[in-house]
Order: sequence, then C-alpha cells, then structure tokens
Amino acid sequence: MSAALLEVRDLRVELKRGKQQLTALDGISFAIAPGEVLGVVGESGAGKSLTGAAIIDLLVPPLKRTGGEIVLSGRHLDALSREDMRKVRGRRIGFIAQDPMTSLNPVLTIGQQLVDTIVTHLPVSKEEARQRAVRWIARVGLSDPARRLDQYPHQLSGGMRQRVVIALALCAEPELVIADEPTTALDVSVQAHVLQVLRDLHEETGVAVMLITHDLGVIAKMADRVAVLYAGRVAEIGPTSEVLRTPRHPYTSGLMRATVAPGLDRKALDPIPGSMPNLSSIPPGCAFNPRCARATAECRSQRPPLVDYRDGAGKHACFHPLEDGR
Amino acid sequence: MSAADMLVVDGVSKVFAGEAGFVGKLLGRSGVGTRAVDEVSLTIRRGEMFGLVGESGCGKSTLARMIAGLTPPTQGQIALTGVSGHKPRLQMIFQDPFSSLNGRWTVGRIVAEPIRVHGLREGKAVEARVHELLEHVGLSAADAYKYPQEFSGGQRQRISIARALAGEPDFLVLDEPTSALDVSVQAQILKLLDTLQSELHLTSLFITHNLSIVRLMTDRLAVMYLGRIVEEGPTEQLFRSPRHPYTRLLMDAAPDLDTEDRSLHPIPGDLPKPGTPMPGCRFANRCPRAADLCKAQEPAMTAGEGGERFRCHFPLD
Repeated sequence: MSAALLEVRDLRVELKRGKQQLTALDGISFAIAPGEVLGVVGESGAGKSLTGAAIIDLLVPPLKRTGGEIVLSGRHLDALSREDMRKVRGRRIGFIAQDPMTSLNPVLTIGQQLVDTIVTHLPVSKEEARQRAVRWIARVGLSDPARRLDQYPHQLSGGMRQRVVIALALCAEPELVIADEPTTALDVSVQAHVLQVLRDLHEETGVAVMLITHDLGVIAKMADRVAVLYAGRVAEIGPTSEVLRTPRHPYTSGLMRATVAPGLDRKALDPIPGSMPNLSSIPPGCAFNPRCARATAECRSQRPPLVDYRDGAGKHACFHPLEDGR
Repeated sequence: MSAADMLVVDGVSKVFAGEAGFVGKLLGRSGVGTRAVDEVSLTIRRGEMFGLVGESGCGKSTLARMIAGLTPPTQGQIALTGVSGHKPRLQMIFQDPFSSLNGRWTVGRIVAEPIRVHGLREGKAVEARVHELLEHVGLSAADAYKYPQEFSGGQRQRISIARALAGEPDFLVLDEPTSALDVSVQAQILKLLDTLQSELHLTSLFITHNLSIVRLMTDRLAVMYLGRIVEEGPTEQLFRSPRHPYTRLLMDAAPDLDTEDRSLHPIPGDLPKPGTPMPGCRFANRCPRAADLCKAQEPAMTAGEGGERFRCHFPLD
C-alpha cells in the first residue's frame, strides 16, 4: 500500500515494571489512506490510546516505543528528533483528546489559543489568523463566533469545549487527525452533535481521521474501516460494514454480542466470559484463547499471524475464523 | 397506596444553595436556588425493576440519593414499605467500583458489614453467608481473604453487589452500576443483575443515562429532564410509542450498529444553564414541536391509554 497516508508497521511499546519487561503494544500494523476514517476499537487495556500516543510520540514514561515503523506520507516519523516531531504534531497530525480540558489552556481565551496554533504552524499574519479563528469557530457550529473568541474555556459547556478542541486540531490544516474517545465524556444528545461536526469537517477538508473509541455504535456510523485491538495486538481489520456484519475474529463477534445497542433483545445479550488480561499475564499463543469457545491446542501455543481475507479487503489474526459472523 | 406499592415518592423537590445569605436573611429575603429535582412523584411496585433515565444534570442521581436517605428532600415525602413487618432495608450500588470499596478491608469484611449492622446472622454463620454470597455473584469463597485492589473493575462491581445483597434489602438502588465498565464486562454484570432480580424477587431502581440498558433491564421507566419527570410508563410501551418528543429524540440520538444507515440524530440546541427561569415546558427551547403555548405554560402530567404519563401539550401519537 504505497498510497497510504499513514503506515504503521509492527509497532512495539514496552514498559519496565520492577525487573519485568512488559509489552503494551505487540506488533501493531495498519495503514490509513488519505481522507479515510479508520476506527480503532477495543476495551480498556487493548492498546488503542497507546497506539495513538505512540504515533505522535506522546508516550508517558515508563512507556517506550521499542520497535516498528511509523511513516506519514513517505516520511519516517519514528526517526525524527524531538524538535522535528514537535513540528509534525499540530501541523501534520492534529489531536483530539477525550477530556477537552486536557487540550485547552484554562487561562487563555479561545481566540488566543486558536490564533497561537495557526501562526505557529502556518505562514499567516496575526490578523489573518484571527479571521481564520472566527471562521473555525463558526465551522464547528458555535453561535456568535466573534464574541466566542474572547471567552475562556470555563464559560463553555462540555460539548462546546469539545467543538473548540476540534477547531484547534484542524486549524493548522493537518492531513490526519487522531481523535481519542472524542465523545466518551459527553451526554448522548451532545455526542451526536460532536460526531456530526467531525463528520462535516472531515467531508469538507478531506482530513483523514484515526477515531479511537470503545463504542461500536460510533464505529458503525463514522468509520470507513475498523481495526479491532485486543491485548496490544490487531485482532481484525477491514471495511466497517464487512467487519460488523460478518466478523471473522471471535473477539469481534463476542464484542458485538456483548454490546448493549439500541433495539437489542434482552435474551440476545451474550457476555464474553472473563476479562482482558493484565500486561503481566498475557497468555501464550493467541491472547484471546482463554476466553474463546473455538480455541484449540494450536491457539494456546502459537500466535496467529494477521492474514488476508477476501483478497486483502480485510485481515484477521485467528486460526479458526468465523465463516458467517456467528 | 396499594399493597403492591413499595416505594412512593410524592411531590419531592431538592433545592441546592437555596438558603439566603446572612445579610439576605436579615433583610427578610428568601433564597433562590437551583431546583435539581422539582416536584417529582413516582411509585415503584414490589418486584419490579424501575428505570430512571436522563442526561447529566437532570437530577436523577439527586433523586436516588434522596430515596436512599443520603440527603433530605427540601419538599415532599418519600415512603418505603418493608416486607414482613421489619423496618425497610435499602442498599445501593454505585457507579465507581474503585472508590466505593474500602481498600483497607478484606472483601470478607466488606461483605460481612451489612450482615453485622442489620444483625442478620451471628458468629460462624456470618462467614458462611459471606462465602455463599460471593459464590452467588460469580466469585469464590477464597476471594473473601483478598483485598479489593486485587480485583478488576468488573469483579469489584460483583463485590459491591454481594455487599448490597448481604443486607437482604427490600429495595435496591443501582446508580449507573455498569457505566464505568468495559463492554464485555458490562454485559456480564447486567446478566448477573437480571438473574438476581428474578431469583431473589428484588425491587429496584436502576439509574442510567443509557436508554438501551434501560430497555434491556427494566419493567417500567421514567425519563427526567431538568429536574422534572417528562414521561413515565411501561418500558416496552415507551420504546414502541414514546409520547414526549424528548424521549423520542433521546432514543434516536444513541448510534446503533447499523452500517447501512449512517445518519446521526443530534438533539437540537443545548441544555439551558441551571437556574434559567422557564415559565413553560422546560424542553420548549429545543423541541421541534414547540409552539407559543409551550413557552408560556408548563404542561401538566397527563395519563395516556397504555399506562403512560407525560408532560406535553403536543404529544406524539
């Protein structure tokens, strides 16, 4: 896939705890095409947020990238200096965090933050930046944009703050935006608003989106393709409609049957037994094998590689993939 | 009040910061506070699981805390009837399984506490009962000798459930019991609660912001908006034909798993700031059906034909 905007190959993230060397991301590989929305889904501990943080070099010690390649438009991000990486963040890759207050400075006005971001990354005057800031506020759907510029984050509701964060992430015109659970902290009615804003701007600007979420409903509505992570590995990746309609990996199918989605029948709710393993106790072979009804001796001893299905439309890491999605 | 009614909430309000300041008091002013819960009345029947749903700030947790006796109502009455003569016992399960268990106590001591407090067992029988409860919620007797920190979020919520059952409650309040849990673990806990509800003939109040969970779990439900119940009725009835526009919009706002229809359905507008005076219907400024009447006059609670009640001048069919 030479046309990829972002290519992540065999990404490894490890940490040292006491004398133990623990693996948090164990060979994650995927690609994002220009203008594509890739959903990254999994439960806590699957490594989805870490993958996002590793790409923009924002891992918090003791977490450390210990292997793999990250290539953005042909340029190796994994080899960049700290200083060069700082120029990539914001300018080439925008970031939207779950809690808008981690991205917003509480003592600066909305306008100052937008103008600062724009003049830092783009060759425009302060005056031009201010005009652009007003336009961005309008584009994310806030009323009375000129007045908003002089407001502080605490004067806005949670949903409005997240829309400002989206404006901040996009105002330097990046090619890719990484959105890490952008609507998880929001109420249902506000969540749909923020997703709509994200979708509209994606369509207008053509920015590619890496959308990290635990919510399969968000994936179903937003993502062109989806990567399902489990215990720091890719379990399955492919077109969203394909993966959600006929999941190949038993974990994907289990996750769907455990999801309390609108219209689900009481009897249809079917939990996956057990829980995601701790980093210190990831089982040998396939990490999902202790919770999997289809596991065999092979699954307990060997790690299944990520293999193509349907001529490369998707990939799964399972020795005994499901045929009909059940 | 009929014999089947276990909990009766009658015209209950909670006003926060309602006290006038010192100078205000001297000048004879009365306080103007935020009415977090505003004249709420509802009845929960013996053996049912009743859902209370709404977005953050709607007052659902404040109402739960008043029902649990953790905070007194500013106005109105709450009456809980016990079974077989004893004083009614109530237990509560909280959202966060990390902060609701004492990390310095063993799981056994945590689960034994309500047994001792209510004097339900004595001596050796307490330990036996603790082991039985732990097994009942899917843990093992050996877990009694461990500390909460040794357990995952889902297992901790099982400990919370065992502790609540240990008090042999007549009434159980579940405040977002699965909101902090992962998808696969959430399903496990919901299954467990569903099984316990029918096995032990519990009566419970299930509070959540998640309508899909309410539909799955409850027999009847009430929808709250800005301190008011806007609609109430049998769960299936409400989902099949909601009468209040807010209920309908809330149902549509949550994304389903359909990848063919990718439309999103945001509820227009924003939640008004608390304390904003609203002479009419509180949802009027966001409601697609609102007319002048809605902004001027608050609709009264009206009874429908399927056992539902709603507050709307122009209800859906």
